[in-house]
Amino acid sequence: MITAQHLVYRYDPKDAPVLDRVSLEILEGQYVAVIGPNGCGKTTLVKHFNALLVPQDGEVLVDGLSTRDAKAHREIRRRVGMVFQNPDNQIVGMSVEEDVAFGPGNLGLAPAEIRGRVGVALETVGMLRLARRAPHSLSGGEKRLVAIAGVLAMRPAYVVLDEPTSYLDPAGRERVLNVLWDLRQEGISVIHVTHSMEEIVDADRVVVMSEGKILRDGAPRDVFREADALRAVGLSTPQVTELMGRLRALGCEVRPDVLSVEEAFREISALVGTGTGGGR
Amino acid sequence: MKTLPLGQFIPGDSPVHRLDPRVKILTVLLLSIVILNSGAVEGLVVTAFLLAAVVLSGLSAGRIAAALKPLAWFFVLLFCLHLFFTDGRPVFAILPAVTHEGLERGTAVTWQFVALVVSAAVLTMTTAPSELVGGFEKLLRPFNRLGVPSHDIAIMVSVALRFVPTLLEEVERMREAQVARGADFGRGGLIRRLRKMATLVIPLVLCTFRRADELALAMEGRGYHRGPRTYLRELKFTRVDYAALLAVTAFLIGLEALRFLPL
Repeated sequence: MITAQHLVYRYDPKDAPVLDRVSLEILEGQYVAVIGPNGCGKTTLVKHFNALLVPQDGEVLVDGLSTRDAKAHREIRRRVGMVFQNPDNQIVGMSVEEDVAFGPGNLGLAPAEIRGRVGVALETVGMLRLARRAPHSLSGGEKRLVAIAGVLAMRPAYVVLDEPTSYLDPAGRERVLNVLWDLRQEGISVIHVTHSMEEIVDADRVVVMSEGKILRDGAPRDVFREADALRAVGLSTPQVTELMGRLRALGCEVRPDVLSVEEAFREISALVGTGTGGGR
Repeated sequence: MKTLPLGQFIPGDSPVHRLDPRVKILTVLLLSIVILNSGAVEGLVVTAFLLAAVVLSGLSAGRIAAALKPLAWFFVLLFCLHLFFTDGRPVFAILPAVTHEGLERGTAVTWQFVALVVSAAVLTMTTAPSELVGGFEKLLRPFNRLGVPSHDIAIMVSVALRFVPTLLEEVERMREAQVARGADFGRGGLIRRLRKMATLVIPLVLCTFRRADELALAMEGRGYHRGPRTYLRELKFTRVDYAALLAVTAFLIGLEALRFLPL
């Protein structure tokens, strides 16, 4: 479990805090989406989870280890893997497999063990085929997958991803999202920072941040039901949710908490009275 | 397109490719000493050795020529300097500056440099950069206790190599961005063109610092720490490697020793 208690952080002592007494708990195996407008403190928050930042006030505990304890940093960073926004700036190795081997090498594992982990990690993200390729010859999506594999080779319990789908084409984005979904199936906790509402409708939990505070924290269905609150801080809801909201405003009897096209189809076809739902 | 000095690694499965990088590095070191000390006889033997190495490694003559090409003017200059500025017996009566001694020195010195470049080229063309770095790291490891941080040096070098293509791409992007806004890098005199390059260098340096910042964070996040670490491939001498190292060392030391024998 990752616990943040009354977390306060400011980059400049004169400024307003970027994180203002944030408290939250992330359970093992949970898929948590963190959303919020630019500058709301999402990235700053997640950087606390693997001790890249240490709280100025309050505390962050990772499985009971405090990030204030510098001696615990290595273990914390092994447990909480972090994938940054720009994969170009986090790939160290001269080839894909060597990059994935970087973390295990830092742990001082034997070559045979490293090889095993590299294989498993690359297999998980579907990049085994390109193990020998040079990083700069990969597409944006492939670089992201390598960055994720590099973190997985550390066998983390939590993986934090900062906007893992930005700048990707739809196919690359799909691949990354599928991998994240697989991680969750394997019981790894995923903390997914994003701007895209469509990406997170399947999350266990959505944490909405605004101006250094947690605005909402709950299941996607509950969070998106409150479209007005989200709009007030400059966020939107998924398009289908928005559509249902507009239909409701017209007086149609549809559910307010629709998240997927499938659900929306069922609601609308019931309304129109043609299709009986279910099929496409 | 994106080449490193001396010649990029050319994947292959030749006996030279398969040798442990340490064997190749040590051979090049020893060979360099021999080359710089050699007279005519040793020179011929070393040339034969280099030719054999090139043939064994399956590298084409074109590849070797490509490695030498950027230095062609340097070789010509070197040869001419010795040719014209060595005192001795003139070759032609009408051109007293050109001497027999000059011809000899010029040939010898130019050959030395060509041989050095060829031996280095064979090393870098038959050894993957990561293997090369790994080889150097392992060779330096015994000096850890003397304060040589072999692991940190290896990381530094491999990160630098890894970022060469990325930074080249970045330069290209910046150049395009400036051309799109009307800059012209192709025209003008040397000074003008150099000044225009400065408009690329400054953003590149700034950008690189920002990258370095993020990279450091990412490395820390992946558990990087100074000092010993382990690698995907831990180099191990095979019997062939031992034999090759022994043979090459004996051969080159023998060649050196030959000069001290009264023949």
